[in-house]
Amino acid sequence: MMNKLVLFISTAAIFWSCKPKIKEQTISKGELDVSSFVILGGAQASGYMDDALYFEGQENSLANLIALQLTKAGLPNFHQPWVNEGSVGIGLTGLAKLYLNYKTDCKGVTSLSPLRTSPIGDGSIFSSSIFSSSQRFGNYGVPGLKLLDVAQQNYSAQNPYFSRMASSSSASVLEDVLSTNASFFSVYLGVEDVLDYAKSGGTIQNLPSQTAFQNAYQQVLEGMTANGAKGVVATIPDLTKMPYFTTIPWNGLTLDEANNTTLNSIYNPLGYYFNVGSNPFMIVDSTANMFAVRQILSDELFLLSLPLDSVKCNQMGVLFPIRDEFVLDQGEINELRGKINQYNEVIRNLASQFNLAIVETGSFVQKLSDGFTYNGIAISAKFVSGGAYSLDGIHFNPRGNALFTNEFIHVINQKFNATIPKLNAGQYRAILFPN
Amino acid sequence: MRKILVFLTVLLSTSIFFCQGFQVNFQGQKQQGMGCAGTALYQDGASIFFNPGSVAFSNENSINLAVTPIFANVLYTDSSTMESYRTNNPIGTPFSAYGLFQLKDYAKLKFGIAAYTPFGSTVVWEDNWIGRFALTRLKLQAIFIQPTISYRIADVIGIGGGLILALGTVELEKDIPVQDSSGVFAHAKLTGKARAVGFNFGVHYDLTKKVTVAVAYRSQINMRLNEGEAEFTVPSSLDANFPDQQFTGSLPLPSVTTLGLAYKPSKKVSCVLDINYVGWKVYDTLAFDYETNTSSLADTKSPRNYHNIFAFRGGLAYEFNKFLTVRAGGGFGFTPVPTSSVTPETPDANRAYVTGGMSVHLNDQFCFDASIYYTQLQRTATNGETNLSGTFETKAIAPGFAFVYKF
Repeated sequence: MMNKLVLFISTAAIFWSCKPKIKEQTISKGELDVSSFVILGGAQASGYMDDALYFEGQENSLANLIALQLTKAGLPNFHQPWVNEGSVGIGLTGLAKLYLNYKTDCKGVTSLSPLRTSPIGDGSIFSSSIFSSSQRFGNYGVPGLKLLDVAQQNYSAQNPYFSRMASSSSASVLEDVLSTNASFFSVYLGVEDVLDYAKSGGTIQNLPSQTAFQNAYQQVLEGMTANGAKGVVATIPDLTKMPYFTTIPWNGLTLDEANNTTLNSIYNPLGYYFNVGSNPFMIVDSTANMFAVRQILSDELFLLSLPLDSVKCNQMGVLFPIRDEFVLDQGEINELRGKINQYNEVIRNLASQFNLAIVETGSFVQKLSDGFTYNGIAISAKFVSGGAYSLDGIHFNPRGNALFTNEFIHVINQKFNATIPKLNAGQYRAILFPN
Repeated sequence: MRKILVFLTVLLSTSIFFCQGFQVNFQGQKQQGMGCAGTALYQDGASIFFNPGSVAFSNENSINLAVTPIFANVLYTDSSTMESYRTNNPIGTPFSAYGLFQLKDYAKLKFGIAAYTPFGSTVVWEDNWIGRFALTRLKLQAIFIQPTISYRIADVIGIGGGLILALGTVELEKDIPVQDSSGVFAHAKLTGKARAVGFNFGVHYDLTKKVTVAVAYRSQINMRLNEGEAEFTVPSSLDANFPDQQFTGSLPLPSVTTLGLAYKPSKKVSCVLDINYVGWKVYDTLAFDYETNTSSLADTKSPRNYHNIFAFRGGLAYEFNKFLTVRAGGGFGFTPVPTSSVTPETPDANRAYVTGGMSVHLNDQFCFDASIYYTQLQRTATNGETNLSGTFETKAIAPGFAFVYKF
């Protein structure tokens, strides 16, 4: 009996171990030389997210994630200008990173909302230089870095994110990047050049000319490819598809019978009419009439910077029209998209001239805007719940960066006959919800 | 009675990987030895399942108890990340129990009772696998209980039919892609019970002394979950979006029509061939209807769009002497699952399999049967609903055992 039992158990063990074998996957770098990698870009490349540069964001930066996959194809090392792990981070306006928690609004309603983890950002990260000539950085994603400033001498004086990582106070970003002598590079510049305009509701008018853009981009690519390096560039996405511009509805003004009557009596003489239910907010427009006020149109956009408590409790958007800095009107949207198209034309031409792979970021941002399913996860451009954008509504969260990285890997593989694996974006976090 | 129930419960979990879709065809050791075929050959009580018409040619009171442990492993290799993940499935144990009775020797009328597990599975994927938002664990259990009557109309024709009482439970678990403040993913668990009724019947006709034809039919059975329980583990700030509640759903089990042939060239040799036509087309959608929908929780309708399929099974038996019979066989079945409906719970593919078996007649009363089944299959697919894209490879081996006692 005992023998039979032993026989049965050992037979069972044999059956149990009858498993399909894992085949060796062939990861090939194709025509690439991956002995070193550098990325040059703005906030999106740096790991900036939740409106701050902080450790976890850097861990999941576009730069670090591309490097992580290149490591599988032989990249020996990659260094980032790390912020301390415990730091609350610091944003371009000096504030700490955002997180999701409960907030009670002016009407006493409590709901989930992005909040700052600390009253002020961690300015200490700017106080010392972390440059080391023996461990050159691979991540030259610098929050706020404009293409047009990339060759600017003494750029440290202008941008503290660069000053902490610069080789010297007189250095330009481009000169530091070129001294890495990288064998493979990525350039994702231009977003910061259009971001001021978009985030200020068109009130900061500093969009460069196409020629200036062309000259600066060409200078960058000539430098990067001088040693024969191959690379990947990326176009500029349509920012107006991002949650920063799409979250607050144009027609969020809900009126009851009494308010409806009041508003009609005030605005009917100007030719604006209201109904019970949802209505367009009133915005400032100096060209509209002598009172410089009109209803917002359905294809115009409110910015996430709009002070919602003023809207809810202090008649903003009703008796007090919403100021220009919180609105992208039709003219501004056209101006912004027109310029982005011009710049993208430049980037596409140069990519082909320098024989580079190119990521069409506009298609990716549009795909997010339309929504899609990734390995069973519904992904969209919806604020908080969409799962791709961080709480600042412009920069991606770790999962968004992982998906974005896959777009880069896709074109790199295509262009250079490589088979670098993509990331499992599902294992990267999206927005964390309080317990 | 309680012991029997415990016994049944232990044996209920069976595996998906046998015979197309989630149907399991391990209902008779002698048939399993001959490629899971035997509709036109009476061998023992398992004919209650294969063809009640053949039962009319029995001449015995008997009890037949069998179990077939299934050792199945699936490997998924994701096409995009090139990473591989495995299942950690528990051993599946489909069982069957048959009782045959007649009032007197050579009676024309036979009575039978059967309990068996014709479909089911437990699939458990490894932790944190890439398809966790499609499925982490699925446990399907079903037991069919089938009282049966057979009648020998003439010396060469038998007919029979059975009423099928189907009892089933399902447990489906998956992760939800929302995370709490420490990054832990939310989780959904859906459980439900179903009861349904169906039938089978069959005709057995001896064309000549050597050739038999048979037709058997098992009806479609709709397993409806009426009071399923949906349980969500989510961050408390999302509790209102995922209320624990009841749901309804249904799972159709397809009809099976079989044409069977048996040929006995000599006293010692039997050959069988079965052609199954399986009505999988009824499985067009897997729908879950929640009592309370929220902005985060909508009813789901997952397209399945299965096809009706043919399967071909055949085998032969050789009787060495009155103590020992050996068997061999194999089969091929088309998959009912279209490429876009391949899921981690049914990573199905066209499949070929081989089987072998033997019977040892200890004496006139006791017989011991054994069989073995082996298959491997592979399917590369992109699911149309989740966009999970990769290759599923399955290997499975199933040794089976039975005791037959005649009295």
